[in-house]
Amino acid sequence: MIKKALCALPIVLAMTAGAVASANQAPEDILDALAAKTKSPYLTQSPQNRMMMPDNPSYDVAEDGGKLFKQKRGPKNASLEQCDFGKGPGVLKGAYVELPRYFADAGKVMDLESRLVHCMKTLQGFTSDDPQIKRRHGSDTDIMKLMTYVAIQSNGMAWNPSMKHPQEKAMRDAGEVLFYRRSGSMDFNCATCHTNDAGARIRASVLPTIKSKEEWTKAVSWPAHRVGHEHTRSSQHRVLECLWQMRYPNIKPDSDVNIALISYWTDVARGQPAILPDLKR
Amino acid sequence: MFKKTSIAAVIAATTSMALVLGGCAAPGADKTAAPAKPDYGKMSPQALAEHLVFESGSYDLQQPTQEGTTGRHRLVQDETMKICSEAAMKGGQIDAKTSERINKLAAATVKYPEGGIKLGDWKKGRDLAWSGFGFRTAHNPDDHGKGAPGANCYNCHQLATDRTGGSLGPSLTGYGKLRGNSPEMLKYTYDVIYNPHVYFACANMPRLGANGVLTQQQIADVMAYLFDPASPVNK
Repeated sequence: MIKKALCALPIVLAMTAGAVASANQAPEDILDALAAKTKSPYLTQSPQNRMMMPDNPSYDVAEDGGKLFKQKRGPKNASLEQCDFGKGPGVLKGAYVELPRYFADAGKVMDLESRLVHCMKTLQGFTSDDPQIKRRHGSDTDIMKLMTYVAIQSNGMAWNPSMKHPQEKAMRDAGEVLFYRRSGSMDFNCATCHTNDAGARIRASVLPTIKSKEEWTKAVSWPAHRVGHEHTRSSQHRVLECLWQMRYPNIKPDSDVNIALISYWTDVARGQPAILPDLKR
Repeated sequence: MFKKTSIAAVIAATTSMALVLGGCAAPGADKTAAPAKPDYGKMSPQALAEHLVFESGSYDLQQPTQEGTTGRHRLVQDETMKICSEAAMKGGQIDAKTSERINKLAAATVKYPEGGIKLGDWKKGRDLAWSGFGFRTAHNPDDHGKGAPGANCYNCHQLATDRTGGSLGPSLTGYGKLRGNSPEMLKYTYDVIYNPHVYFACANMPRLGANGVLTQQQIADVMAYLFDPASPVNK
């Protein structure tokens, strides 16, 4: 099990630069600490989900992802082990919490999902029409498996998206504008549901508020297993589902609106420990 | 299916481009290619955001909507949306003058039923208040042929206490019982459902009448659910 391997990982991480205190904690322990600190209604809303976290099905998704990652695949018969997620080819530890970031080889800011797709195209020779890239948003998809494998190697580390390149700052700032930009049949923006005081609910569901960094880190901790969906889901899937509820048109995978929103929301969680994999309602 | 349509469109576009190029084969024919991507790092946040929405290929701007328009229309902002978006980014505060402007814009949108505001059927209103169906598009468009759009009230409001409502908006439990059903109260309530900005500039609540989400009859039914003494809201 990858979970067991990861339990040993934090000892190494704790001795390397960039690690925060919670890097040696399981996701549920990170959540417990945030909940104890804040008494947040959002962080404590589901004791059942909390109990399931040690058995998070996303660990199995990540394990599958690890095998895929190392497997030689595609027209170029290559693995993804040389993929550069921003900290150098093959460096996965702590790479995810520094995304989205600007990649000179692509000339643009990329999140984890779009960067992974970039590597599958450039290193392995897959195209956008191949099912390996085209199929998104489920535990049974290659993309979700690979993303989860890469992401959980940043568990407990502080969100620290790069803001060195002008495009990184530009995408973050545009993402902020988009977060507050009202449109659609219902006049919704992201802020409609996520700038309220802690504890506000849609029906019975407590919403995370951007005003609480501790709530926000859980909110943006994707991949997460969605109990109601019985699937591990990604950041871009969260964007898609919110836009559906907001009565917006369909959004394309890896598109710049996705990247801008994710750049902003990750920046808001800066400094807080990532909960990876998370488990949500 | 969106994906199939999209592929078909790409094939069609590619084919037609090949025909054009094949027919002309003139130097400079590549001017038909998409315009160069602007330097994001040199754009203002607002300009970049608008570029991303409309010019970056992020959204399916051609997606059909239930009201017969396209995805693009869902993303275009009117004056109220623009003002309220800017205000929200600054913490939600608007000055008195702006507030008056929003109120005035809103008041101009309200259309009243011929014969005056009357209460409809509270049982229909109850179903409407509970339903969050309607006008969703994205990856899973609501088929209005399979059911009327709902009013989404319970998403944000507690109404009758037999079901759990949200808390983004104020509790409306006992609405008619507490407020009475004077003509002024009926008009006020109709206005708020039709366009809450008449009274509450930059409210979070949707403009259910002004935006065409609810018909006048549906508003009458929702109002019956709020005011009728027999409605569970007032029990």
